[in-house]
Amino acid sequence: MLYSATELLNKHPHIELVTFDFFDTLITRTVSQPTHVFAEVEHQLVSSFGERWKGFSYKRVRAEQRARAVAAQDDSYRDVTFDEILNVLSTDMDLSVAEIELAAQHEMATEIALVKAVPFGRDVLDEVQRRGMAVMIVSDNYMPARHLVNMAHAAGLTNIEVSHVMVSCEHGGMKHNGRLWREVLEYSGVPAKKILHIGDDRNADVEQPSRLGIATYRDPRMRASHRFPENTHPSVLPLSRLEAWLRDDMYASEWETSRALGAGPIALLVASQIADVCDVIGERDVRGVYFAARDGWLAHQVWDNTLSASISIPAHYLAFSRSIFGRASIAEVNDHVLDRFVGQNEQLTPRQLGNRFGCELDAPDGVDVVLQADQLRELLVVNERVVVEASRALRGRVIGYLRSIGITSPGHHVVVDLGWTGATLADLSDIVREASNGEATVEGRFLGLYWDATPHRTRLAMRGYAVDDLDATENNLRLLGVIRFFETLMTAPHGSVTDFADADGNFTPLFARSDIETAQYSAVIGMVGEAAIESASAIVRGDHPASVTLDELTREVAWATMMQVGQTPRKDEVAFMSRLRHVASVDHQDDGIPLIARAPRSSSTLPYSRTQVLFRDLMNQYWPQGTIRAWEREKKTSVLADNIMRYWPIMKHRWIEVDE
Amino acid sequence: MVSENSVAIVMRTYERPIMLARALASVCQQTYKNWTLTVVNNGGDPSRVDDVVNIARLGWPQAVIDVVHLRDRVGMEEASNVALSQSHTDFFAIHDDDDSWKPTFLEKTVRAMQEQPDAVAVVCGVTRIHELARGKTLRPQRAEAFYLDSHHLTFDGMIGNNTFPPIAALFRRSLLDNIGMFDASLPVLGDWEFNLRALTQGQFFYLPERLANYHTRTPDSDVVAENSITVGQDRHRVVKERLIERWHSERTPDGRNKGEVARTAYEMFEKYESERVARRLQPAESFVMRQKRRIVYAAQHPRVGMRAVVRRVRQQVRK
Repeated sequence: MLYSATELLNKHPHIELVTFDFFDTLITRTVSQPTHVFAEVEHQLVSSFGERWKGFSYKRVRAEQRARAVAAQDDSYRDVTFDEILNVLSTDMDLSVAEIELAAQHEMATEIALVKAVPFGRDVLDEVQRRGMAVMIVSDNYMPARHLVNMAHAAGLTNIEVSHVMVSCEHGGMKHNGRLWREVLEYSGVPAKKILHIGDDRNADVEQPSRLGIATYRDPRMRASHRFPENTHPSVLPLSRLEAWLRDDMYASEWETSRALGAGPIALLVASQIADVCDVIGERDVRGVYFAARDGWLAHQVWDNTLSASISIPAHYLAFSRSIFGRASIAEVNDHVLDRFVGQNEQLTPRQLGNRFGCELDAPDGVDVVLQADQLRELLVVNERVVVEASRALRGRVIGYLRSIGITSPGHHVVVDLGWTGATLADLSDIVREASNGEATVEGRFLGLYWDATPHRTRLAMRGYAVDDLDATENNLRLLGVIRFFETLMTAPHGSVTDFADADGNFTPLFARSDIETAQYSAVIGMVGEAAIESASAIVRGDHPASVTLDELTREVAWATMMQVGQTPRKDEVAFMSRLRHVASVDHQDDGIPLIARAPRSSSTLPYSRTQVLFRDLMNQYWPQGTIRAWEREKKTSVLADNIMRYWPIMKHRWIEVDE
Repeated sequence: MVSENSVAIVMRTYERPIMLARALASVCQQTYKNWTLTVVNNGGDPSRVDDVVNIARLGWPQAVIDVVHLRDRVGMEEASNVALSQSHTDFFAIHDDDDSWKPTFLEKTVRAMQEQPDAVAVVCGVTRIHELARGKTLRPQRAEAFYLDSHHLTFDGMIGNNTFPPIAALFRRSLLDNIGMFDASLPVLGDWEFNLRALTQGQFFYLPERLANYHTRTPDSDVVAENSITVGQDRHRVVKERLIERWHSERTPDGRNKGEVARTAYEMFEKYESERVARRLQPAESFVMRQKRRIVYAAQHPRVGMRAVVRRVRQQVRK
């Protein structure tokens, strides 16, 4: 339960001394987690002094870890100093004395530039000082007390003095191992039962002081935006600023994961889709822009909200689906068609199967008898003529629809889609070329592409904004892992396109109705979408409260955003996504597959061969990174998660690539 | 009109449209834009090449891509020479149709050329990608660092064996005026022979960053996709022998017999390679032997053994 400053102090009437943790209790930063301060430092150093400083932020994190390891060899209780960290860093980066001094100055200046007070901490501090009680800051940190005081002053906490600060690097012990708490008792001379400590860390700020009889209060709200610390690089900064803004914006209310996901990473990716379109229309003449169903729905809304008035190029929502182009291109019922339209172990009635092709199949035992996959395939072969005719008719309606939205008009047309292989857009490109006698051309702009996109490069001009098939194999695999995550969240309020009305109905798209998708959308995904549209629109307009602008959204930023949330989701995000299912069958009529897989029984003793099969299933059907993070947190399944990360290191938390 | 620091890129291709499409994307995505690409269709179906090139032009309208269709298939080096003889740029690169660059390859190698006026070539670090080519799919199976260092780019480091694939290098165009073109009579290893001649004009500068991807097909790939090195190992050996014979009448830059130096270096390389293969083929130590060795070691070093036990117990407790 969270209290106000007055309530908290009133609950502890006998307290004489109030001690505060410093970082994330009294002060925070305008980035989402402490290690992103180093990303900001790297950004400044690279901008001012060149590529020599590339990789600084990650190496700075590693230098701190190494310095701690070295210090622990002599005395495992003491904390390291800033100088010790800089020494390790100078070796790792081969820095001169002047360069080390430069880095140190930039780091301290950046800490001060990004600092801001935590509202609750500031309120308690004010109330404590108003009541005339004693104050002390107790921090596990490598910076000297003087620097912490400077930070406090920069955050507006001007009554803090050096004599108020006990920092671990100056006192030979840390809060985490309890030694600093003994120092606090000795230094302050106040008995433990007359001290109240306020902090955010369960061990350092609650368990350790409680052992000595100190009353404690934990407020972890500033930690809500933290992710894996080693993923720090200038490319994470736009998302980091967005997540810090969300953390502060939801400070006084309940944390809403749907809003955090929508207004944070999803908004940034939607804005990246818009940035990509702006790039292409800046490069060449474009006849029309199309946001492909359903992945482009959010981007289309944002475009309509922001740029449609100022950019004269017409923009449309393009309703199509993988299955509809497949169905509209059947010249014969061959193995490819059979495999594509009848799942390996699928059971359907002839009526349901006929619906997939938009025709009625002639079935000797009736159209409502459930048949096995083999029988369904035989039925299709027998009904080949009906199926091919239905396909031809559908193709006519597809072309009618494409003409109605102008994509067959002479000129160059840009289609925006999420990804991942470009197969569907390559099919679209073929149809457009045929319908326009080669006068209309299509270019696919995707957020991400992986290696199966390569063959389609012979049919479609395409680019992957965040990542593509030419990127490192590891990144292609990481992308494969997060596909279902993004498809589930970046979607439209309607089902998949199954058909188009005929000419009398103006070739209007007809959508499938999937109960599971409708329920998910109204319960949670709609909220993610709304938050994303609002936040992305602000980014595109240039008036986002987090000061994130369209100009910053580079390829690296988009990739970092995908990885921060897709590869290293927070606990609340995994819990949120575990409620969702991904529906991917041809007609979107099934219940889908949950994004987070259930661990097998006896998971800790699973042999390598079975782990391999399991990993393949995770990659093909689930959100593997989210699943592994969920398993990692459970005692029963943590060994399995560890094993998977050991066998397939790309599943580990660290996604940034740094030459060490 | 040729602008300063311009690059001519030569891409030879023969009936591999999917790889060609990827290679074109690799060039077109370069952050450095001052280049012209010549695709040399080495006797393949012209319309397939034109279709793929037209798709690439559609995606990158600013890209300057010329296509030369050779009616009959010729050797790789002759195909390169056709394109290079028409170039008037400061630098040139050979981009095989199955390889790829990172987007900053040209930006960084051109910058290195500017910073290293004595260098006749810049060679970057390479990632080798083993990929499975089946039907229309091209799927990477694993990636590994291709072993290369600055010694491998010296005359002595290179005389025994070709040490880097063409995709890793950017050359000064002036080399062609000084040492001539690629040796069109060589069916393979023309790049090696050229590199050794180029080294007489200046050094090869090594840029360790891995900016080039050298793609090779796994043994279970379709035959049409295979590359000249993994398939034609016998042919490489024959050509190598032929070159060493030829070099017996030539001198190294420091006056030694080039053929003899090459022979010695080649034999050393072969010996090293066979030892490496033998090491790889050695059976792994059995589980029992491994445990036995660990117990003996722990008995000889009780403090280390005790620490290992404590560590293991801690790990279990944590889990």
